[in-house]
Amino acid sequence: MIEVVPVPQSLDDRGLDAMAQGLSSWPPAERLLIDARGTTWASPYGLTSLLTLGQALKELGVPMPRLAVPESDDTRSYWTRAGFFHHAVEYFELVGRVPKRPGEAPSDVLVPVTAIRAASDVHEVVGRVQEGAMRILTSDLKLEAKATMGFAMALSEACQNVVEHAGTGGWVAVQSYFWKRRLGRKVAVIAVSDAGVGFRRSLESSEAKKVGDRWGDAAAIESALLHGVSRFRDAGRGQGLAGIKRYLVRWQGKISIRSGTARVSVRPEWDDDVPLAEHLPFFPGSQLQITIPAQETPTR
Amino acid sequence: MRERIDLAPLLRDAVSTPYSDLVTRPTGVSVRQRIEAQIAASPHPTAQLDFGAIGLLDFSCADEIVAKLLLNSDVERPRFVVLVNVSDAQVEAIDHVLETHRLTIIAMLAIGGGPRVLGWQTPDLLAAFEAVTALGAGDAGRVADSLGWTIERAADALQSLALRRMVQAASGTYCPLPLS
Repeated sequence: MIEVVPVPQSLDDRGLDAMAQGLSSWPPAERLLIDARGTTWASPYGLTSLLTLGQALKELGVPMPRLAVPESDDTRSYWTRAGFFHHAVEYFELVGRVPKRPGEAPSDVLVPVTAIRAASDVHEVVGRVQEGAMRILTSDLKLEAKATMGFAMALSEACQNVVEHAGTGGWVAVQSYFWKRRLGRKVAVIAVSDAGVGFRRSLESSEAKKVGDRWGDAAAIESALLHGVSRFRDAGRGQGLAGIKRYLVRWQGKISIRSGTARVSVRPEWDDDVPLAEHLPFFPGSQLQITIPAQETPTR
Repeated sequence: MRERIDLAPLLRDAVSTPYSDLVTRPTGVSVRQRIEAQIAASPHPTAQLDFGAIGLLDFSCADEIVAKLLLNSDVERPRFVVLVNVSDAQVEAIDHVLETHRLTIIAMLAIGGGPRVLGWQTPDLLAAFEAVTALGAGDAGRVADSLGWTIERAADALQSLALRRMVQAASGTYCPLPLS
């Protein structure tokens, strides 16, 4: 028997909830077929989350899931050049044609899908962003030099959370694109996803008693994101997310963290997302998204 | 008398990366240990940490290098630390982590200008620091006169500067750190 999990046409932070809805149980009782044939677009958040699903299943030791790749040539080609299939072959049995030669990464891909397993990976990703992406951030997004450094800093801290807290590896991807429907401006997006223990389990031993009955995925994310709580006792810990938040407030950016069954967002004025979403369908690990809008007047 | 410590070679020694960014806690720990070893071996009481050839400094590394260096400083053998050639973006990270720990440090920015106090501070602390920097070595009475304060207020502020290792204090005289 096989359980089919449909991937929505647009796999982004909202599309992930729809995909998670398709997981009838966790761990799954049957082998999964992730059906992305009808998918025509995926954000960095979508691609890194999809890899997280594959990684989580592999770490559970269940049969390797099948992934029916998008039917659209453009989408397949884009996913290849964004580095997705390079990693996906390790976690999925791919169904459908996949371009063999990755070719050049698209110009809007600031960091292709990259594995984060150790501090050295963080050095590599941050260095690469500074080498290649700063021009795009300053010319396309009109970010000033100080803001581009803050962007790299946010990227570094987001990736470090994987190394320090997840207990397993994760994925990062950075991309800029025109966010016509939601904002009418270009944005740069950092997506980091890991298949680790999640915020609730990471903070449970130190925080659950303090929070009491409300303890759960949402309270755990709130503790870390809004109150700078860390599982480490050291007073200097928990500053990464606090620093990211400070940076985002200044540049009207957004941070959103999903873990388990909850998502907490710190939103700027332009965003219509809810600050807290609970009782979402379960998805393994943690997913973080940082969005920085172009610093210009919105187009009409 | 001061020891100049260039952070770029320490970074290259600590991690094998072609980049010049101080990022991640393990990197910060490793670089700080090298700084501590150099400070311990130096005959000079003041160390200047040179950020000139460093690119990005993230919060974790700022915490491990700057904040922990101040927190771990030896009570028995007072050492003074000044940051030099610090960029605007680096200031932001350092300021943020020091405020969290209620620590303070003096920095000379890469763009020039006078010394800047980063981290936790009060108006009195800042005013006393600026007075000592402008006046040079002297006692609390001189600072009190220049600021129009009572001698007790000046002495409190100077003592706070001394405890934070922002001036050298000996027998009632407060001396600014070597900044050039």
